[in-house]
Amino acid sequence: MKKVLIVLLAVLFVVSAFSFKAIMVTDTGGLGDKSFNDGTWAGIQRAVKELGVEAKVIQSYEQADYISNLSKAAEEVQKEPDGGIVYAVGFMMTDALFQVAQQYPDVYFAGIDIAPPSEAVPPNVITFLFKEQESAFLVGYLAAATTRVGKVGFIGGIPIPPVERFRYGFETGVKVYNDLHGTNVTIIKGYTNHFSDPKKGKDLALSQFAEGVDIIFHASGACGNGVIEAAKEKMIALVGSEDLSKVIEYAFEKGGYFAMGVDVDQDYMAPGVVLASAMKGVDTASYMGVMWAYNGEWTPGVHTLGLAENGVRMSPMKYTKGLVSNRTLAELEYLVTMIKGGTLVVPDTEESLNSFRTPKIEFPF
Amino acid sequence: MRVLEAIFLVFINPLFYKITLTAATPLIFASLGGVYSEITGVVNIALEGIMLLGAFTSVVFTWLTGNVWIGVFMAVVSGVALAWFHAWGSIKWAGNQVVLGTALILIAQGITGFLMEPIFGKPGQTDFVGKVEELRIPGLADIPFLGKIIGETSPFVYMAFAAVAFSWWLIYKTKLGLRMRSVGENPEAADTLGINVYGIRYFGVLMSGVWAGLAGAYLSVGEVGHFRELMSGGRGFIALAAMILGNYNPVGAMLASLLFGASSAFANQMQSSSLIHVSATVKPLFDMIPFILTIIVVAGFVGKSHVPKADGVPYEKEA
Repeated sequence: MKKVLIVLLAVLFVVSAFSFKAIMVTDTGGLGDKSFNDGTWAGIQRAVKELGVEAKVIQSYEQADYISNLSKAAEEVQKEPDGGIVYAVGFMMTDALFQVAQQYPDVYFAGIDIAPPSEAVPPNVITFLFKEQESAFLVGYLAAATTRVGKVGFIGGIPIPPVERFRYGFETGVKVYNDLHGTNVTIIKGYTNHFSDPKKGKDLALSQFAEGVDIIFHASGACGNGVIEAAKEKMIALVGSEDLSKVIEYAFEKGGYFAMGVDVDQDYMAPGVVLASAMKGVDTASYMGVMWAYNGEWTPGVHTLGLAENGVRMSPMKYTKGLVSNRTLAELEYLVTMIKGGTLVVPDTEESLNSFRTPKIEFPF
Repeated sequence: MRVLEAIFLVFINPLFYKITLTAATPLIFASLGGVYSEITGVVNIALEGIMLLGAFTSVVFTWLTGNVWIGVFMAVVSGVALAWFHAWGSIKWAGNQVVLGTALILIAQGITGFLMEPIFGKPGQTDFVGKVEELRIPGLADIPFLGKIIGETSPFVYMAFAAVAFSWWLIYKTKLGLRMRSVGENPEAADTLGINVYGIRYFGVLMSGVWAGLAGAYLSVGEVGHFRELMSGGRGFIALAAMILGNYNPVGAMLASLLFGASSAFANQMQSSSLIHVSATVKPLFDMIPFILTIIVVAGFVGKSHVPKADGVPYEKEA
């Protein structure tokens, strides 16, 4: 019996001898959030397929789990002969990540959506940030171009930096549209103070619709499911049918109620009712992190991904493209190249939002 | 002045009252559950867990059968099942009711989180499975103002108020209700009179499963048509506060639930007002209102709250 065990252990050891391990520690949102946890995992899965690394996920159920889960992951990685990388996902894990990373200097750490608390980043840590404001700018511009009542809404979850950057971008998009087209589209803003309570999102969306907005952009995690449900409910009541072609036909002639999704392409959640989504390419970031650590191209520090790096983008509007004029689509296209080229900088702080002045933009058409 | 104007506009907006009702509905159901359990002497903080399980079960069965009402019915069944564990542990085995309740909340969170993957193939949240449509009452819906509030709303809203009326009648006008209250006040005396203390307590706790299960079903298939992990969002605890604020009385619990619903609807409307700008940092203050009210009441500033004397005390028959 003992011999069998030893042989088994030896086999296990040999099998796992040449491996590089990527361990992801989720935040309390966990896998299945259709947002950055799922996105990070998708990127790691891509690394599993393309680079042949091993992957594992540790779920955190409360904030108190962060430090112990990260330490557990780091110790597991240390045992691997080829080492590995530990992923901390989400703004809420900032402090835990930097505390644990200092204790395990020989383990690579990557943070998604995490900004280092101080200038000096330990050499074993990279963090990825996103220019959420750039994709939100595009949906903001689109919302201002599409609204029929001159009023659009924003619903945030908890006002943490990534949510706020979505708002800055959305507000800027509306402002730029107003300045270029001489319109006066206004914004109503609200927060659910929650990321996983759909009823709260729905109630707030109904309030905003009653206040006269016809398009709501949400950056509120799963509360946004309620926002989308509210728009769907109002739209179906108008159209009298859930049928996509009828919804689009009605919307094309008379407008209606729309939601705008966030983080991933949420257009499918209510086809025709979700106008577009401001997407965040979390998967790109997490894949890059594994690749750098695996290939030894490690460059510690903060990496900020925007439109130019394919880190954020607007959804392709699979169902709703017909509702938007060709001119608006072309303008959006042009603005994307301006942002990529750096001639249009979308504000990412409250101060720069307040002092933002629309630059001179002349469309070449 | 703009603030006052904004507040005035909130109060003349029918949507404010409609959202007050829909936000209060899950609290009314769950706090009724609390009343049934606690007046018989069993503290039931598991309401949060029962709601979550109810929300989950109703989505699962709606998805399987395509019929939302089967989903709602199964939510009640699952609520009773979870409540039965609470009854079994705290009545039969005289366990600590707070510890048991907490354990059941964690179990409900664990089960619903775990079963997502095997049933729906993905964790976190389900897709839209179907929901209970709003009920339009002809005639009532055409009345100006009032029609916009109660003329066309979720059937659960009407059910909640019917449940309150039924519960008040049951608890204060029937023999069974008298027994429930006597078992919660003085189980020894009730036992001496030949009342089955254990049986009555079982009834109270299982009924709390019925109501909290309905509360959960309302949150998922009643409003948004899908399940999301932890979607009960602490409403079970707010419902306990409503029950205490309502003095362990179905009507009181309903009024307290309405107050809490109104405070969340008020926060919504103020944030959405075009007249003023409520900054994001002020919003959490609105969310505190229910709890501040509860503390004021529990501290005895407004009237005296009457707690059932044997509430939380397991009854053990002397041999």
